[in-house]
Amino acid sequence: MRLLEYQGKAVFKEAGIMVPAARVVRASENQALRDEACAAARELMSAAGIGRQAEQDPTGSSGGETAWFAPGVMVKAQVTSGGRGKAGLIVRAESPEDAGQAAVAIVEREPSVRVILLEQMVDSACELYLSISTDAGSARHLILASAVGGVEIETLAEQNPTAIQRVSVDPFMGLQPYQTRGLGYDLGFSGELVKRFAQVTSSLYQVFRANDTELAEINPLFVTQDGSLIAGDSKLIIDDNSLNRQPQFEVTREQYGTDTEYEAALEGIPYVQFDGDISLMCAGAGLTTTVYDLVQFEGGTVANYLEFGGPNYRKARRAMELCLKNRSSVILIVTFGTIARADVMAEGIVGAIAELKPDRPIVTCIRGTNEEAATETLADAGIEPLLDTEEAVRRAVAIAKGEQV
Amino acid sequence: MSIFVDGNTTIVLQGATGSEGSFWAQHMIEMGARVVAAVTPGKEGQKLHGVPVFHSVRRAHAQHAAKAAMLFVPPRFARDAVLEALDAGIPRVVTIADGIPLHDQIQIRAAARAEGAQVVGGNTSGVISPGKSMVGMFPYWIERVYRPGSIGVMTRSGSLTNEVTAWVVDAGFGVSTLVGVGGDLVPGSRFAEFLPAFETDPETQAVVIVGELGGTMEEEVAEAIRDGVFTKPVVAFLGGRTAPSGKRMGHAGAIATGSSGTVAGKVKELEGAGALVADRPCRVGELLARVVQ
Repeated sequence: MRLLEYQGKAVFKEAGIMVPAARVVRASENQALRDEACAAARELMSAAGIGRQAEQDPTGSSGGETAWFAPGVMVKAQVTSGGRGKAGLIVRAESPEDAGQAAVAIVEREPSVRVILLEQMVDSACELYLSISTDAGSARHLILASAVGGVEIETLAEQNPTAIQRVSVDPFMGLQPYQTRGLGYDLGFSGELVKRFAQVTSSLYQVFRANDTELAEINPLFVTQDGSLIAGDSKLIIDDNSLNRQPQFEVTREQYGTDTEYEAALEGIPYVQFDGDISLMCAGAGLTTTVYDLVQFEGGTVANYLEFGGPNYRKARRAMELCLKNRSSVILIVTFGTIARADVMAEGIVGAIAELKPDRPIVTCIRGTNEEAATETLADAGIEPLLDTEEAVRRAVAIAKGEQV
Repeated sequence: MSIFVDGNTTIVLQGATGSEGSFWAQHMIEMGARVVAAVTPGKEGQKLHGVPVFHSVRRAHAQHAAKAAMLFVPPRFARDAVLEALDAGIPRVVTIADGIPLHDQIQIRAAARAEGAQVVGGNTSGVISPGKSMVGMFPYWIERVYRPGSIGVMTRSGSLTNEVTAWVVDAGFGVSTLVGVGGDLVPGSRFAEFLPAFETDPETQAVVIVGELGGTMEEEVAEAIRDGVFTKPVVAFLGGRTAPSGKRMGHAGAIATGSSGTVAGKVKELEGAGALVADRPCRVGELLARVVQ
């Protein structure tokens, strides 16, 4: 589960990582949104003191909300997709009125935006990059840091690989003080900054471990004139397999671009929204991904990726319901299951068709454990049981193109 | 011969007294697996399919030395069960659990490395040497997939493996050993770690890799070929050629970001090392026929 920026920053703040003072407003009708964003910005700007460098946080780097401010606020769409700046979803506003205007403009540009974050602007001397993830091969935690922040790490890795420092952490021993200290010196820091950077790195490592995250990233990590470190953004991905032991992270509508993606997530059904013609309702992640490829190879387009294998193989009705919410012209069902038994899935599909009475054709290719029974069940229900994946894909593409089949 | 498991490999089962575990344990035995003991805390003294049950792996192993452990343990207990097997000195462990927490998986692999042991999974069907033995859950009775033969198969994905292997069999070949490393972000074992065993296995003539986008396991195979660690023919099929960047497709490990983890990059590495890469599952058989008599 990818947290939204403001959700991640709440976790940071709790862990003692400084974040800019902020207010969250929810998208509503334009005038109300404008007023709300304007009021939130006014509050933030008066707290900061417009046009002057504000007081230092009296508690130092204790995770307090105050920091060094620049005049103005940042207005930031809360969506999980990258490249928000380029997409015009992060806007700098000089006045409360500008902030209200910016919030409305963002929602008009991207109607799926449900939440907007307004933040005090930070007057930074420089920007760093800091992240913690996993190195699968060595089975160790991997800290990446750079004194060149604010650009995506993939871009930095291509253009300026020597600017990235790496520290590898033993998953049983955990992060050691010499490692954070050494990282600071290797990034070219000295004195107090080494200490503060070590503190932030150590706090982020706690966040990484305590919340079962796949990735904990701060980019940019602002360094202010006085050497305070403030998280300019947050990217926290919580491991989906750990969500039942991290009950504080709830699946919320605002994390998803569409209602269907949200409903699928609640159901635990892997689902990705596209805007093509063919709904994929397949079993097995690798097979579904391959069917996606084959559809493209045959000149078709995909409306949605949906996988109802593994623990979901008895959820044919729910899966079909989700597919029917799309404006697809055909549903393509391909499975080759082992534990996800073919006969059970075929019965589920026949039951789902009887109940939902789909308004579009369904192409099936169901193989695997007890496939003979599956074939029979489908044939009895008047559904042609195809057994070759490629033939099924070609059939679905032909239907989507309106050809006679 | 075969790799990882054959009819002589002694196996201890963990958590097999539940209905699903018991069902597949029965199939393992029917297929030829030499199951010597089962472990379920609190059930020592009972029998499962004629095999004695013990409270702990250590107690089981003391009386019935096992070379491999098969775990039918739910995801949240998988770490504990794997560490128990490793601590008892079992060198090969298969955990099929789908949904092991990432940070548990990291520690599972780290512990296996420290012990010099091999842990396969989670999120896999396990390992099968058709006609000989199986440490896992495979419908070996489906003959158009699990026919014994001379092709080693390694995969990150269950259903896709059935799809691809059916084409291997369709082309007249069979399987020596099929290893499912699993679809998770940090699998217990990686493709390249099985290549030395396939290299020395006289019954394996070639290896088929069923990979997908994300991670670096396919690149590591290419490196092993280039380094001469593996000299037999390699044919690969990789899912996710057309997957959009930044979207997670099903498996936790199946995501490409920027230029890393893309199928295009993996194909380039594999072909550069001399492997053949099929763009569709149905072409795997014909590519194999080119390199294997």
